[in-house]
Amino acid sequence: MEFEPRIIAFVCNWCTYAAADLAGTSRIQYPTNVRIIRLMCSGAVDPVYIMKALLEGADGILVGG
Amino acid sequence: MPQKKIGVFVCHCGINIASVVQIEELVKRLQESSGVYYATDYKYMCSEPGQASIRDAIKEKELDGIVVACCSPSLHELTFRRTSSSVDLNPYLCEIANIREHCSWVHSDSTLATEKAQEIIETIVEKVRLDEALDPIKVPVNKRAMVIGGGISGIQSALDIADSGYPVILVEREAAIGGHMAELSDTFLTLEKSSELLSAKQREVSVHSNIQLLTYSEVEDLDGYVGNFKATIKKKAKMVDWDKCDGCGKCIAVCPVKVPFDQEHPLGKENAIYLPLLEAGPKRVVIDKGICQHFSGECSECQTACPKSAIHFDEQDETLEEEIGAVVVATGYSMYPKDRIGEYGVDGCEDVIDGLQFERMLAAWERGEGPLRRPSDGKTPRDVVFVQCSGSRDPEHAMPYCSRICCMYTVKEAMVYRKAVPDGQAYVFYIDIRTGGKGCEEFTQGGIADNRLIYMRGKVSKLYREGDKVVVWGVDTLMGKKVEIAADLVVLATATVPSPGAKELAQRLKVSADDYGFFQEVHPKLRPVESPTAGIFLSGAARAPMDIPESIMHASGAASKVLALFSQDDISHEPIVAFVDEDYCSGCGVCVETCPYGARELQGRKRVAKVIEVLCQGCGACIAACPNGACQQRNFQAEQCLYMLDAAL
Repeated sequence: MEFEPRIIAFVCNWCTYAAADLAGTSRIQYPTNVRIIRLMCSGAVDPVYIMKALLEGADGILVGG
Repeated sequence: MPQKKIGVFVCHCGINIASVVQIEELVKRLQESSGVYYATDYKYMCSEPGQASIRDAIKEKELDGIVVACCSPSLHELTFRRTSSSVDLNPYLCEIANIREHCSWVHSDSTLATEKAQEIIETIVEKVRLDEALDPIKVPVNKRAMVIGGGISGIQSALDIADSGYPVILVEREAAIGGHMAELSDTFLTLEKSSELLSAKQREVSVHSNIQLLTYSEVEDLDGYVGNFKATIKKKAKMVDWDKCDGCGKCIAVCPVKVPFDQEHPLGKENAIYLPLLEAGPKRVVIDKGICQHFSGECSECQTACPKSAIHFDEQDETLEEEIGAVVVATGYSMYPKDRIGEYGVDGCEDVIDGLQFERMLAAWERGEGPLRRPSDGKTPRDVVFVQCSGSRDPEHAMPYCSRICCMYTVKEAMVYRKAVPDGQAYVFYIDIRTGGKGCEEFTQGGIADNRLIYMRGKVSKLYREGDKVVVWGVDTLMGKKVEIAADLVVLATATVPSPGAKELAQRLKVSADDYGFFQEVHPKLRPVESPTAGIFLSGAARAPMDIPESIMHASGAASKVLALFSQDDISHEPIVAFVDEDYCSGCGVCVETCPYGARELQGRKRVAKVIEVLCQGCGACIAACPNGACQQRNFQAEQCLYMLDAAL
C-alpha cells in the first residue's frame, strides 16, 4: 500500500482557517489526510502539541498563521 | 467531573454536504462514538425547523453541550450559539464542526470524506467536553467621537454626531477647516458658490457647543479598542500669539518665502506666514515651520514687522491625549502630480495646470479679484484645452481607476470659464463622458450646448510650448483626424488620489488602506462606511473618489454608525481570553513582553501576572510563551487541545 501521511494543521482562526474556508468556497480539491485544529492564533501553538502529535503518529505538522 | 451529555447535529446543507458525506452512515457511527450522547441530522440545520430540532433536543435530552456539524463557524456560529442561549444552554458550550468548507467541498471520495467528517466532529466533541460556560465581558462605551479631517465630509460627520448630543473632537491638520471645498468656484449642479455653501457649515462647527475644534493638529497615535480608544494628537505650534494678532498682514508682506502657485497648499497660503482662510472667526496668521527661513536660516522679518509683537519662534508643539469611543476618518483626497505624467510635462510651463488650480483661479475671479489671468504672464486665456483622464484609467502609467468626479467638474469649469471670458473657447478631450448620478447628464449636455463647448473624443498625446502658446496634439477619434490646438491654458483633470500621508495614518490607526492609499471598507457593497477595525469608520473621499453630495451622504452614514455604537451603554467583548493560575506563576514577566495588545501586567506585591480582560484578544501568544504553564486561554486550554489532537490522530 502506498504511504499516506497523516498531517495535523494548527491554524490561526483569522488567517489560515479563513484561507481553508476559501479553498472550500473555491472548491479546490486536496487529499483528505489533513486534520485542522483551529486556535485563535498560531502564537498559541505550544511546542508540546507538535511533539505530542508527532509522537502519536502524525507524519507532518503544518502551523499556519 | 461528570461526563457531559453532548448532542451532535449534522446538517446536509441541501446536497452541499450530503452529496459527498454519507450522512446516514456518519450519524450511525457518531451514535456509537464514546463522547456522543445524542446524534441526529437535518436537511438545513440553520433553517427555523432545523434550529427548532436543536432546541427541542437540548430540552428533551437535557444536553449540556452541542456540536453542529455544518458550514464554517464564520457563517453560522453566532446563529447556533443564539439557538443554544434561547433554551438556556450557555452559548460557549455550542461549537461548530466545519464539514462543508473543510470536507465536502474539497473532497470527492465519499468514503474518505465520511471518515474525515467523523474525525472532524469527534475533535470538536473533545473540545466541547472541556468547554466552560462563559459570559461575555461587558465594556463601557466612551460616548465621545474623534473626526480626523475637516473637509466637507469631516464637517458633516462631526455635525451629525454633535447634533445628536455627543461630544466630538474635530482634528484638522491645516490651520482652517473646509478642505478642498474651500478652494472651489461654483459647484455643479446648481452653480452655487462653493465657499458660500461651505461657510454656513464652517460657522455651525465653530459655534457648536459639542464640537471641540483642533486645527493645525495631527493624530500621532491611536491605542485601545472600540468604545475605548486613546488618541495622541500633536497640536502644531502656530508661532503666533492669537490673542495679540489682529490679522493686519504686515508680516505676510515682508515674508521672503513664496509658495509656488502649482504646489498643493491650502487656500490663502502664499508665504511661510499666512492667513488661513477662516470663513468664520477672526483673521489670525500662522507660520509653517517646514518652509519658514527662520528655522533654516536667520530670517526674522515678520517678527520685526509685527506691530503687536505676536510672533514667537520659540513656541513648541503640544501633545494632547484624548479618550474617545469612536473614530471617523475623513482625510479626503489630493490630485495626482501632473509632472509625473510624462507626455503632459511641459518643463516649467506654468500654463499647464490641474483642475484644482483652475478652480482657484475661477474662484478668485468670482470673488471680484479682477479678470481671469493665466499664471505665466497674467494674460486672459482665450483658448483653453481641458484634458480628461490625465492619469486616470491609465493602468500602464498612473492610476487604473476612474476618478469619478472629473467629467462633472470639467464641464462645470468650462461653463464657469465661459462666464469669466465670454469670447473664449473651451475644448475638452475625453475618453468617455461618465456623468452618472441625479441630474448630472442633463447638466453636462445642457452645459455643452449652451456654452458652445467643443468636446472631442480622444486622447492628447503631447503638449509643448511654442512662443507664448501651449500646443496640444490630440486626436478626435469620432472624426478620425488629428487635432492641433494652440492653447493659452491647458487644464489637466488629473487623477484623484488619497490625501498625502493617508497610508501612514492608516498604519497609525491600525486600519488597512488599498494599494493606492484609499482607506479600505469592510465590504464594498454592504458595509462601505466601516473600516475592518471595530469603532473606526470612513467618511467621504478618504475611501474613494467622490463628489460633494456623495461625500455628505457617506459622512452621514459614518456618523449614523457612530451613533448606533453610542446608543449602547456597554458593548460585549468575547470571553475567550487568557487567564492565569497564580499558583504556577513565577512573575517572570515574559507574558507582559509577549502580549501584542498590552493586556498583561504584573501585579505589584504578589509579583504574579494578571490579564486585563477587556484588552485581551485571546490570541494565546502569552500561553505559548509562559515557561511555567501558568497561562491558559478559556475554552482553548492545553488539556482541550491535547484531547482534540488525540481525536484527530
